Amino acid sequence: MGIQEQYRSEAAELLSSGEVKLVIGFGAGSTADRRRPLFARTPEESEKLVLDQNCIANLTTYLVAGGLLTDGKKVAVFLKPDGIRSLNILIAESQVKAEQVVIFGFAIENNEVTPLEGRSISDFAKLGEKLRTATPPPSVQEEAERLEAMGSSGRFEYWKEQFSKCIKCYACRQACPMCYCRRCIVDVNQPQWVSTSSHTLGNFEWNLVRAFHLAGRCAACGACDRACPVNIPLRLINYRMGKEVKEAFDYFAGESSDQNPVLASFRQDDPETFIL
Amino acid sequence: MSESFEPKIVAFVCTYCTYAGADLAGTSRLKYAPNVRIVRLPCTGRISPMFILKALQKGADSVLVSGCHPGDCHFAAGNYHARRRWTVFRALLAFTGIPEERIRFSWVSAAEGAKFADLINEITEETKKLGPFTQYQELQKAIETQSSY
Repeated sequence: MGIQEQYRSEAAELLSSGEVKLVIGFGAGSTADRRRPLFARTPEESEKLVLDQNCIANLTTYLVAGGLLTDGKKVAVFLKPDGIRSLNILIAESQVKAEQVVIFGFAIENNEVTPLEGRSISDFAKLGEKLRTATPPPSVQEEAERLEAMGSSGRFEYWKEQFSKCIKCYACRQACPMCYCRRCIVDVNQPQWVSTSSHTLGNFEWNLVRAFHLAGRCAACGACDRACPVNIPLRLINYRMGKEVKEAFDYFAGESSDQNPVLASFRQDDPETFIL
Repeated sequence: MSESFEPKIVAFVCTYCTYAGADLAGTSRLKYAPNVRIVRLPCTGRISPMFILKALQKGADSVLVSGCHPGDCHFAAGNYHARRRWTVFRALLAFTGIPEERIRFSWVSAAEGAKFADLINEITEETKKLGPFTQYQELQKAIETQSSY
């Protein structure tokens, strides 16, 4: 029995026994190689679940949307390792209760889908350690290093050009499982911190704020990057922020579900070489 | 740079240490550059990175953020939290090409009036050398000309 069939029947069992109220997985998409989130509430609906190498979206986004978990019932969700990382962050930030989530874990390597052992977040403690030591994608690393070598005016020009494309659709925010604020700072208009029209200055500010709010909270799932309709390389900024918290505070976001959020904690001997 | 350039510097300071330090500089009759505009806040923990962006948006050439030395925070830990935040924000600004020399951080205690005066003089001098932050200010100008039609 393949992993898809195994997970389908397990999902149907969970739904028919009433253990979970909903299974969030993947269904057929608009083209043959696209997958769309599927929300199965009955055993019959779970027959439509698909699991293959095209299931790349991070479905944790849906756990924090619209008060889904406020009734205390359980939800099952299909997650890749980066999804498990972001679930760890959400639990650490008290947005999700660990016991409310049943995980159907899977990994995609060389177009092969393999199951991940365990159904509860506590079963994935080893995975966090493994992800911490994994090397980031070389393409991202190289591009970030190329930018670092440019000098500040070169980088400014680069980002000015990138951000000038931004149309302020906020798709990056909507796609991100960590952007769960009920009222986002860009929607605050008294005071108006970030200009709302999509000129380059406002775009600059929005993208800086977005990146800062995700510093030490990003699971590097790439959802923002894929969602961007004008292809701003958000992965580079996210990578740079992740690198900073790792180097300065020895912190890896989403390593475990009980870590203290990096910007909500401190050590007395944190580095401060830049402070006069 | 032309000699007539007088930089605008915005200083976000905490009320318990750096503001008191600035006050001491004043009562001690220490002279320092008049280019700084001080914004007093309850604690460095209250200083949001948004303030820095807003100051730049409104035409600041340099920004100073200053508070109590570690261990001296009136609220016990506000400056420790702020320190982590600045570390990360500074890296972000550097990565997006906003020169690090324009955003300064310091600890100035209530007893360090002289340090405050020296610091402001030093930042003013260095910002004069750097010149106006035209890179960023041009973005703001672009909006103003756009909205005029």
